[in-house]
Order: sequence, then structure tokens, then C-alpha cells
Amino acid sequence: MKKIRKVVAILASRLVLVGFLLVSAFPIYWMFNTSLASDAELFGTGQDFAPHLERVGEVPQKLEDVGILGLLANSAFIATGVTVLSFLLAVMAAYALSRFKFHGKGLSGFVLFSTQMMPEALLVVPLFALFATFGLLNSLTGLVLANTAFSMPVAVFIIKTAIDKIPYEIEESARVDGCSPAGQLGMIVVPLVLPSLAAAAVINFFDGWNEFLFANTFIRQQELWPASVGLAQFMGQYSTPLSTVMAAALLFTLPAIVFFLLVQRQIVSGLTAGAVKG
Amino acid sequence: MTVVTEEAKAKRPRNSSSRSWTRLLPYLFIGPAMLYIAVFVMIPLGRGVQLSFTDTKLINPQGGELVGVENYAELLTSERFWNSFVVTVSYTAAIVIFSLILGTLSAVLINRSFRGRALARALLTFPYATPNVAVALIFLWMYNQSSGIFNESLAVLGIGEVGWLGDPDYGLFSVVLATLWKVTPFVMLVVLAALQSVPDELYEASRVDGADVLSTFRAIVLPHLMPTIRVVALLMTIWSIRRFEIIYLLTGGGPVETTNVLVINIYQQAFQSQKLGMAAAIGVLGLLLSLIVTVVFFIVDRRASLAESQ
Amino acid sequence: MPHISFQDVTKKFGKSTVIHGFSAEIEDGEFLVLLGPSGCGKSKMLRVIAGLADMSSGAIEFDGTVINGLEPKERKIAFVFQSYALYPHMSVYDNIAFPLIMDRFKSWYHVPIINSIARRIIRNTAEVKTKVMEVAQMLELEPMLSRRPRTLSGGQRQRVAVARALVRDPDLYLLDEPLSNLDAKLRTQMRSEITDLYKKVKKSFIYVTHDQVEAMTMATKMIVMNDGEIRQIGTPDEVYHSPADTFVAKFIGSPPMNIVEVTASGTGADLPNGEKIALGGKAPKTGAVLLGVRPEHVRVVDANKGVSAVVESVENLGAESILSLTFGAPKGSAEGKGSKILAKVGGSSIARAGDTVGIEFEPGTFRWFDADSQSALN
Repeated sequence: MKKIRKVVAILASRLVLVGFLLVSAFPIYWMFNTSLASDAELFGTGQDFAPHLERVGEVPQKLEDVGILGLLANSAFIATGVTVLSFLLAVMAAYALSRFKFHGKGLSGFVLFSTQMMPEALLVVPLFALFATFGLLNSLTGLVLANTAFSMPVAVFIIKTAIDKIPYEIEESARVDGCSPAGQLGMIVVPLVLPSLAAAAVINFFDGWNEFLFANTFIRQQELWPASVGLAQFMGQYSTPLSTVMAAALLFTLPAIVFFLLVQRQIVSGLTAGAVKG
Repeated sequence: MTVVTEEAKAKRPRNSSSRSWTRLLPYLFIGPAMLYIAVFVMIPLGRGVQLSFTDTKLINPQGGELVGVENYAELLTSERFWNSFVVTVSYTAAIVIFSLILGTLSAVLINRSFRGRALARALLTFPYATPNVAVALIFLWMYNQSSGIFNESLAVLGIGEVGWLGDPDYGLFSVVLATLWKVTPFVMLVVLAALQSVPDELYEASRVDGADVLSTFRAIVLPHLMPTIRVVALLMTIWSIRRFEIIYLLTGGGPVETTNVLVINIYQQAFQSQKLGMAAAIGVLGLLLSLIVTVVFFIVDRRASLAESQ
Repeated sequence: MPHISFQDVTKKFGKSTVIHGFSAEIEDGEFLVLLGPSGCGKSKMLRVIAGLADMSSGAIEFDGTVINGLEPKERKIAFVFQSYALYPHMSVYDNIAFPLIMDRFKSWYHVPIINSIARRIIRNTAEVKTKVMEVAQMLELEPMLSRRPRTLSGGQRQRVAVARALVRDPDLYLLDEPLSNLDAKLRTQMRSEITDLYKKVKKSFIYVTHDQVEAMTMATKMIVMNDGEIRQIGTPDEVYHSPADTFVAKFIGSPPMNIVEVTASGTGADLPNGEKIALGGKAPKTGAVLLGVRPEHVRVVDANKGVSAVVESVENLGAESILSLTFGAPKGSAEGKGSKILAKVGGSSIARAGDTVGIEFEPGTFRWFDADSQSALN
């Protein structure tokens, strides 16, 4: 009896796992499939399950027609900008929170955390006014600045937990050797937390790549739309064929997936560095 | 030797320049980040709170008169607002509960080693990597009433079609489903990492004690995971309260406001009804909700951690 | 070099005082050992001397110059950490070269890319190379220069830590329990290596440990600490033979000095049960007093001689034996009562547990301590 129970259990768990895999992969596959379907099939005879691979050649032209490269370039600019700016701010802040004792330390930590609770929608209007005053509306730089404010604290948290794990004696040793605090950070600590830095960078990049709300509200010019806004616009227009929209969406998705795969292990270890112990 | 001195008497300590700026150092390091947040988050927040006490309209963002708590009074008696509140809570609860269950389950399933495990794990994380807008787009198409794959499949199975995004009974369900697809992998990743930190000896000891898989999980693995699960639960909660793109692009708050979460409500008030003051008030209330949740979490977590370390 | 003067150094952590009024004068060139149990403040003191921690009040002078405000680098010291604190991401060569690179570092070298270039250039200069090789040779580290610390054994890592200290040619070497992470055999070996180093460089050393054997064998001067206070300053000899109080008496020596409560009167000391110990001299005061005698000065004799005692246990160490005895128990009292005393005798003892024997004390080896203050009376 026990044997059968065990076999059934294993079979069931395998089945469930396969189920999860199918559910995870299907929508993305469907994006791919839809990108190769004709309007007639989509709205008329019914979308075929198998992709029409013969139409792959047409896709690049269609994408160019909607200016996908420009859109993606804008997204890339925002994502890179957020990553770099967050990095600069977060590394120093994480070091301070990890190593120094100072008045307002607890407050700083709370302030950083509180940004995660802020509904962007609440801040959209005041930020709009602020950016209007400084001429940051309708600019990618403005988007970078807005996004970094919310993305950077996550990086601080990830990097801080990694720095916490490094024995302080190594920095003391560097200090005795004549190394300045900035040097200790740059030459000693940073090389030792590279995996967490990578994790933080990827998360920041994602946030920038994903950015929608601020872009939708602040940007007026079509040329400056990041891909997220562009795609949302296509959705409303009937002039763009669904297949093209899907192709664009897929192209928008692929870099994120690839990037994520490359640093997956880092992200998880970076995220859980302190979480398990609490 | 720099410390050698000719005088026999002791000298006053050389006021090394390094000492005075040592005290400033922490502030130099954390200053930039704090300043940045002050400018781009705190000041707008303050302005937002201020706005919530006015009747500012979109056409004149700088103008508007103070109306005290009128906005709040109106909101708290408004059916629409409470509807948003309930929808937000339902949405959040559904996401948190199901993502935790499904995420933990998938983490457990993928924890054993088997051939192709790396590939399987990668596949399972794709949804999380997919940008929100893309998620909304594909689900929008799949939910399409006449031509979407969901209804097509239901038709093949002989069950009638479902209204999905257009049906007030199914709107929230559809939106929750799409969100779950995207966020469950996050839970899976974090729980998986925690799972892998369970020492082998614990599993071995439970085997010696004759426990089966389910009991082992309940008695040994789950308690070990609890701190992690609590943190993930908090994160998922406050992120769900904020989540905008997917809902906005799928339903825009409809149908009949069945998916009108607080943040969508804010957006509508600000850009459709053009009432900036009102929008800000909703925003403040939403923020309060998050704050309360966080505080509750910390109390529960502290108590639970204390209990666990006994 | 240097002559170190500690003037009433105090260190507080919030409300609690970790170091109380530490005052001492140490000649230059001494191998000073700070000895004490865990938590006595010796490591904190070392960090204060190094400049890694600040003192709350007081002053420390090197050769007459107050060093209170100076950064570690400016004090011309080297610090060997208990965990060695080697830079994990650098090779052994780079670890040793790091202080030399820092010496030649200009402030604008901090800029990221310039940083790597500058460091690489400096690292490869002939000057730096020579110095590193010199030190590496001295410590037999040449075959490991390109390896990372995590691939080295404990003993090798320790030598890299020492090499890094050596290469700076400091005036003062500070070592924080450097041997505690090593196994016993390695420890003995490294002890003599450190002493050899001391003799070679002829500089001042300050060494922190809780192991009194290390202290006794290596120190030219010792400071015994407890609870943040100095209990005694002296040479190993002085500390061993003339302990300043019962704490020092019991801390130094293996096995520790025996402390017995007696009532002294004239030329005799009374045990609680009335038996008398012949003093062979006068007690420093009458009344309740503590008598200290080291185990090697306790002689085990026949039962009818000296003070009667019962053997509790015998530890046979080959070259010597340690007997645990009880004596001075009031007549008719239960077993095991009375004062415990340890006797160290040469060779293998023929005594067995339960035997009744007599104990005598070598004349002139008594140390007296005040029963209340615990400090020495002679």
C-alpha cells in the first residue's frame, strides 16, 4: 500500500510541476504565436495553435514601421540611467547604514523603506508640478530621476545585507594600513559584495525597463515614449495589427528575460542574504 | 619616525584633520541618498498631503483653496471610495494568499534535483521577468471574449464563454489571475532560497524518526520558512496596494468599478474628474493603509520571532 | 621604540566602563603582554592603543607625544588581528603590498578607473617588489604569493598577516590573540617564531592573550587585567613569584596557586579544624588571613608527619603528578569537607585516591593576602 501511495504522490507532484511549467510558459508562447498570426486568423477563422513560422520574415519590417527600436532605446536609456544613479547613491548609503553609528540612522532606514509604501499615483501630480518648474517634463532624464527615487531603496537594502556579512576587521586592517574610508569602501568592500551589486543592478534595471505611470503622465512627445507607453498606445489604436503589437511586446520582454536569467542566482542570494535570519 | 619629538615635555595632541571629518563621514555617505529622497519623494509627498486639503483642479494645479477635511469627509461617506477600499483589500488578500501558497508549492516541487531542473526553474521565473505592460497585453488578448484563447478553449470543452474582463462577476478574478501569473515566481524564488538553507541533518533526523513527506514539511520545513514567508507576505501586501499598470491596462477600473482599486481611483480623480485635491486625499488614505499594514506586520513578526526563539 | 606612557586611560560604552583608569609606563623595546580572562578589556585596550577605538578620557603618549587624536596610520603601528583579516579578494602578494601602496596613495587616486591603474603601477614598481619579496622570503611565503587567502592553511594565513605587518616597518607591533585560532602544535611553533621575530626587528611589541602560558613564555613585561582594571604590572618572574593579589595568583601558573583561609597568630597559622601549620617565620599580620602556596611547593609526606590530608584524585602526567587533596576538615565532619589543595610532585606518585597522607610546605614560599582586599601582604 505504502509503495502505491508513494508512486501516486510522486506522479501527482510531477504532474503539478508540469502544470506550473505550462502555465508559466504559455502566455509567452502565445505572444509569440499571436505575433505570427494574420488578422484574418485572429478575428475570423481562429488562431492556430501552431505558430506560422513562415511569416517570421515579415516581422522585422512591421516592427520598424512602428518604430520599435526607438521605443526600446528610450526604455534602455531609462533603465540604464536608473541603474547607474541608484548604484552611486545606494552603495554609499548601504555602507553608512551597515558600518556607521550616527544620529538619525534609524530614521534614514525607515525613510528608505517608506518609499516602498508610496503609491506612485499619489506622487504623480506633485512630481508633475515639480518637474514642470524645472523643465524636466517631457524628458527621459526626468523619468530616470523619478524612478530612481523608488528603486534605489531596494538596492540599499540588498547591498546593506551583503555588507553586513563582511567582518569589520578587514576594514580595520585596511585602516591600519593607511586606507581612507572611501578607499575602504571602494577597494575592500565593493569587490567583496559584487554578487549583491549585480542583483541590485538587475532589479534597478527592471524597474526602469518596466516604468509606465510617470512616463505616461510626463511625456508628451511620441519620440520619447519608452516601449511600455508605446505598447499601451498601440493597444488602443486599431491601426496597428495585433500581431505587430504582440511582436513588439515580445521584443520588449525578451531582454528582460535574458537579463534576469543571467543573474538569477545573484538576485536570490542577494535578496535573501538577510531575510532568512530576519 | 613621525612620532619622535625633541622636547621632553608632552605635546598637545596634534589636531589631525582626519579626526574632525570622521564625525561628518556618515552623513557624507548617506547624505546624497537622503537628499535625493527628500527632493523626489518627501517634498512631493508633503505637497500631496497639502493638496488633499484643498479643492485644486487639474486645470489650475497651483491654485485651489483650502477646504480643510472636506475631501476626506466626502470620501469617507462615499460609496465609491469604500468600494475602492474593499476592492483593494480583496485584490491584495487574494494575491498574497494565493501567491504564497502557489509560490511555496512550486518552490517545494522544484527543490528536488532532477534532470532539466535548471531549465524548469528558469522557465518558472519567466513571468516575473515579463514587463507589466506586456503581461497586460497578452492577457488582454487571451481574455478577449470573442477570439481569445480562453474562451476558445472553453468553447472546445463545451462550457460556455465567460465575460472575463467585461463581466462584473469575473473582472476582479481576471485581474487577480493575471497578476498572480506575474508575481508568484517572486515568492517561489525567495522561498526556494530559504528552502535550500534547511540543513540536511534536519531531513535526515525526521526520516530516522519515521515521518513521511507531509509531516516533515509541516513540522520541520514550514517553521524554518516562517520568517521568510512573513517578510514576503509583507512585501507582496504593500506592493499589491500599489500595483497599477496591470489593472489599468486590463480594465481601467471597470467593469462597473469592480476592479477599481485605490490607485486607479486616484488616477481617475486626478486626470478624468480633474479633482487633484480629492485624488490626493485618496492617496493619503491609501498610504495610511500601507502604514497600518506595515505596523501590524512588525508587531506580529516580533511576537512570532520571540515565540520561535523560545 | 617607542616608550609608551598610559595616563589614566578610561573607556566607557554608554553607561558601562570597560577600562578603568589604566596607567603604566612601558620602556621601549619591551614585549608587553596584556593578559587576562575573556572580557577583561585587553582587546579593547589594544584597539585604543592602535587608534581603532577612542578612549573616553586619559592619554597615551609615544615617546612623549600624545597620540590620542592620531589615526592608526599616523601612529606607525602594525596590527595583527585574531582572525588575520586578510583581504579575501587579493593575492598574498597584493595583501602584503597593500600598506606600501597606501603609503604612496594620493587623494585623487580614489577616482574609480584611476584607482585601478594607479594601484597596478605602484604594485609593480621595483621598490614595492623588493620589499614584498624580502618579507616573503623571511616568512617563507614565496611559493604562495599568487594564491588567495582562502586557499591557505591557518598557519600560512597567520604568516601572511605577520608579513603584512612587517612590510610596514612599524615602530610598534600590536597582536590581538593571533594564536588562538591555531591547533596546539602549531601554536607552540608560532610562539617561537613570533619571539624570533621580536628579537630580529628589535621593536616594541604589545601582545594580547588569555593564555598565561603564552604570556609567561613570551613576555618581557606583563600587565594582568581583570574587569577593565590593571591587577599587576611586572616581569613574568615578578608576577609568578610575587602576585599582587589573589586574582593574579590564581590566574598565573598551571595549576594555579593554592589559596587557603587561615587564622594567623605569631609563628603559626591555624586551619579551621584547629590544626596548626608551622610557618617557619612570622605571619605579616594576625587574625583571618589568606595563605597562598604554589602546588610545586607542597610536599606530600607520610601520614603522621605535617598536616594530615586525604587524597581525592591523582593526575599522572608522566614527568610529574598532580594530587588533589583535602585537609583541615573539622574532626568528625562529612567526607570531602575542608580546604582543597593541589600538590605537584615529581615523577609518578604512588598515592591513590582515599589515602591519608601528610602535607608539608616548603619554607619561605608562602604568599600572604588580606582576607578582605585580596591584595598581597608580603
